Amino acid sequence: MKDFLQFKDVSYFYQTKENEVQALDKVNFSVDEEEFASLVGPSGCGKTTILSLTAGLLEPSSGQILLQGSPIKKNDSRIGYMFQRDHLFEWRSIWQNIKLGLEVQKKNKDEKSLAFADELLRKYDLYNFKNKKPRQLSGGMRQRVALIRTLVLKPALLLLDEPFSALDFQTRLKVCDDVYDIIKQEKKTALLVTHDISEALSMSNKVIILSSRPASTKKIVRLNFSGDTPLKKREAENFGKHFEMIWRNLT
Amino acid sequence: MKKKQKINYSKAHAKYLKRLKKDKFIVIFWQIFLFLAFVGLWELLSSTGAIDPFFFSSPSRIVSTIGELARTGNLWIHIWTSLYETLLGFLIASALGFIIAVILWWSEKLRKILEPYLIILNSLPKIALGPMIILWVGSGTKATIVMCVLICIIITTISMLNAFISCDKDKILLMRSMHANKFQILYKLVLPNALPEFFSVLKINVGMSWVGTIMGEYLSSRAGLGYLINYGSQMLQLDIVMTSIVLLCILAAGMYLCVSPLEKRHNKQIT
Repeated sequence: MKDFLQFKDVSYFYQTKENEVQALDKVNFSVDEEEFASLVGPSGCGKTTILSLTAGLLEPSSGQILLQGSPIKKNDSRIGYMFQRDHLFEWRSIWQNIKLGLEVQKKNKDEKSLAFADELLRKYDLYNFKNKKPRQLSGGMRQRVALIRTLVLKPALLLLDEPFSALDFQTRLKVCDDVYDIIKQEKKTALLVTHDISEALSMSNKVIILSSRPASTKKIVRLNFSGDTPLKKREAENFGKHFEMIWRNLT
Repeated sequence: MKKKQKINYSKAHAKYLKRLKKDKFIVIFWQIFLFLAFVGLWELLSSTGAIDPFFFSSPSRIVSTIGELARTGNLWIHIWTSLYETLLGFLIASALGFIIAVILWWSEKLRKILEPYLIILNSLPKIALGPMIILWVGSGTKATIVMCVLICIIITTISMLNAFISCDKDKILLMRSMHANKFQILYKLVLPNALPEFFSVLKINVGMSWVGTIMGEYLSSRAGLGYLINYGSQMLQLDIVMTSIVLLCILAAGMYLCVSPLEKRHNKQIT
């Protein structure tokens, strides 16, 4: 589906006691189905605001956000959200953590959902850790569990809010590959927010460059690097060129 | 649980284990030694007349006082009264304080409205309310329990409320993004997240509830260890005072030992 997610002239104002701060100024972009899009922009430009709006946690001051052709509702169930840190609950086992969303939505007795959760665990090499506590897992594995916890609810769109920034560099490259692989295999549409240009370049088909606050769409770049993993893409010959172009657009 | 595997560790490991064992032994040795030295010295000084046993009592006199109290049957009445008051006060205050904290977490408005009152109640020395308590609920056991509850409940409420509020905002956002309602956020996230704090509040309350009980019994009572201390000091029978204090130490330590395994079990569960 083309224009799976659409931002149409979306503006947003934060209300504070002293004044009104405009975070977004007529942001326009769209993401096609099964596309991996990244949002990059100068720090503090309102990237996370865009994710909160997409998730239905905030409402746009003006403009429209459409997912699969219909407007985003409050706490829209078509959205899966992945955070900077994994936020696994330490008192729950891995399996219980993955079941959290199902429990909340009263689907934890639903056999289809449970079987799907089970399948995801097996597929992504976490089955043996099913009964372990989060503390016993490495940072990369924890992030994979967090992704599966989100996927179990079968969201149409995945929002990733700098999901690798809490990891050290070595782990980060590896987890980047893992997460990319899972998202591609599950055929998900994803919107990633990152401040890391090479991360954005290596993971996405589309990079949306935002201006500084109030953010508006500055440029949209389509990418087609050779290589099937983010790590391989980093070796593509025109990678450096694109990096420089985006970097120049950010400053 | 996996079966323990026999692995031949290096000599360094054996050495390390040995040192751990030795350290533990030293700690326990000194703990026992200090206790025996204290009791022994106390006994020695009072029997040689270096300190006046009339004012300082002595271990042997404490033991004989306990025996005497046990013979007349009053010992158990006093112990039971204090223990009953403390346990009841402890349970009521911990439960009520917890519930109030949950309510205040639930309603931000109510929390803001009640904030100054909580601060005042927290800083107020609860003993000042003593005379009022006696007038309202009558003297004796009831007044003591009320005093005990008053002393514990405010600190329980404030500590638990802080623990609830300090729950990670992103974790709450995560729950909301899964469409959790407020009750689910409370039940599945905020409460389990605050469990460690709850255990430490319980441990604090063990001490606080004994303070409440003894203060309550000082104010007005006909039985209990606080009563016994008061009675002993007025009659200038310091043996009774010292005996009561020793009994208090044992009871409070016993109660603490009952509470702390709960925490240890929880810690074991999350690792």
